[in-house]
Amino acid sequence: MAEPIITVKNLTKVYRVPERAPGLSASIRGLFKPKFQDVEAVTDINFTIQPGEMVGLIGPNGAGKTTTLKMLSGLLYPTHGEAKVADFTPWDREPEYLQRISMVMGNRSAMNWDIPPLDSFRVLSKIYKVPQDQYQRTLDELISLLDMEALLKKPVRNLSLGERMKCELVAGLLYHPDVLFLDEPTLGLDVAMQRRLRIFLKQYNQQHQVTVILTSHYMADVSALCERVMLIHHGGLIFDGALQELADKLAPFKLVKLQFTTPPSNLEGFLTQFSTVEYLPSENGHHILRVARSDVPKVTAEILSNLPVADLSVEDPPIEAVIDQIYEEGKV
Amino acid sequence: MQGLRLIFEFFKVSTQAELAYRANFFIRFLNAILNLVTGVLSLTVIFNQVDSIKGWDLPSAMALLGVYLLLAALRGLFIGPSLESVAGMDGEIWQGTFDFTLLRPVDKQFLISFRHWRVLMLFDLCLALGVLGYAIHLMQAELTLLAVLGFIITLIAGVALLYAALLAFSALVFWNSGFLFTWIINDLFQLARYPVELYPVWLRLVLTWIIPVGLMTTIPAQALSGRLSWQWLILTLLFTIGALIGASWLFRQGLKKYTSASS
Repeated sequence: MAEPIITVKNLTKVYRVPERAPGLSASIRGLFKPKFQDVEAVTDINFTIQPGEMVGLIGPNGAGKTTTLKMLSGLLYPTHGEAKVADFTPWDREPEYLQRISMVMGNRSAMNWDIPPLDSFRVLSKIYKVPQDQYQRTLDELISLLDMEALLKKPVRNLSLGERMKCELVAGLLYHPDVLFLDEPTLGLDVAMQRRLRIFLKQYNQQHQVTVILTSHYMADVSALCERVMLIHHGGLIFDGALQELADKLAPFKLVKLQFTTPPSNLEGFLTQFSTVEYLPSENGHHILRVARSDVPKVTAEILSNLPVADLSVEDPPIEAVIDQIYEEGKV
Repeated sequence: MQGLRLIFEFFKVSTQAELAYRANFFIRFLNAILNLVTGVLSLTVIFNQVDSIKGWDLPSAMALLGVYLLLAALRGLFIGPSLESVAGMDGEIWQGTFDFTLLRPVDKQFLISFRHWRVLMLFDLCLALGVLGYAIHLMQAELTLLAVLGFIITLIAGVALLYAALLAFSALVFWNSGFLFTWIINDLFQLARYPVELYPVWLRLVLTWIIPVGLMTTIPAQALSGRLSWQWLILTLLFTIGALIGASWLFRQGLKKYTSASS
């Protein structure tokens, strides 16, 4: 196995935030005698990431995902702990390090809004000292992958959110970083644009072997792009492994969808012989059964041999439902 | 070289952005003319009544006005717009886009000092040079090479001092992100239009050593009119170097304190 490109040991970040009671008198008191509260945003997290991996960092709002990304990109100093990214300590912010990483944020723009994106790209290429021929090659590649030829000459101010996000990605990848931190890149985008960006990220990762850590609230992003997920909750890393493993662990059942040639007279009565089968309300003429994973072969065989089945499919429960369950319970 | 290349790129992009708003062009032009007329007119009115005030005659007062306008133009050309883009409620730190500045593999102080240019201030710069030229024309008989050399050195020190003061006040934004501290300099800078000798002693001391707007303009004007002692020249240079180091230190401390806006 190759050396990990990212190693994180006992990383912790505590913010000191002002505490203000409601009301005018409390505000005046706070002016002279401010009170502060320590908030632990990230607590003692450990992980490693291999070069070229695409890892999803998921968790509810305020879980510590963005704080983790900001420490890894060098924007924040940790309260304690260590991290090495591409052999650098991120918060030393050495130019050689910053040249190898990129951070793209869905809720913030790195572009100059008054000028066309092409001009911003040119300035960035000078900042990152990208040779002219390489700049042109990379730009052409990114423009064609993102299908954004038409946007290049309009001021950024006049672009739509999705078009702007394409520009942010180009700005973040112009200098071929080895590590890409993506913080909610599909935030607020319509479904078609989300899919377009996912396809792009997947293609780009395959072609350039860039290491990616992605945070997103859209599970579709994570399940389409990342085989591995890290789940953060209340600042702690509570799961690190394959997305499928997380789903299996949390949802030890599968959904069996059935359609019949003629409606069976007593389906629910038939199902009472299986103790681990639950009959869910039917959807669009499909009957849905929730069946324990271990019993799926036996239950489906019985159904097929005893009932007039026209169609049968076995599916995993939707990942959103699984994740919701963890967010609520706070543990895996 | 890389620094100059970047400055050139920043200048080009700022020009493009500014020329997108045509009205600015005329407003800036009018403002520059107005600044010049009020400055020159008030001096002419005063020196029609008296020959000199506390050792300042018309040519040296005109030189002071020239230096003041020159510094104001340079402040408006890049120091002000660059540093002010960081602070205030619509500034990068408040908005969170300062994250991108920190992520660039370039010296951060350089980046925040030269990034934004208000190219229309070149009008003001030309007019300021015109006033300086006129002052030199008025004092031509008494102008020595040494005086010109002293003037150039102290003028550079004046620009550096103005930059250091604005950098230091901008750095305070890391301790209070919503506030634009540079207004303190902007307001006090108006006082640098006149020689510091005209102000009461306490104010003179403040304007010389605490918020040194007096040093920025009075010293170069004195150098040009040949009235600057070498002791003052050295003191000004030492003070400027100290101020630059101090402001840069404060800025770096501020960077360490930066906590990034929340997502």
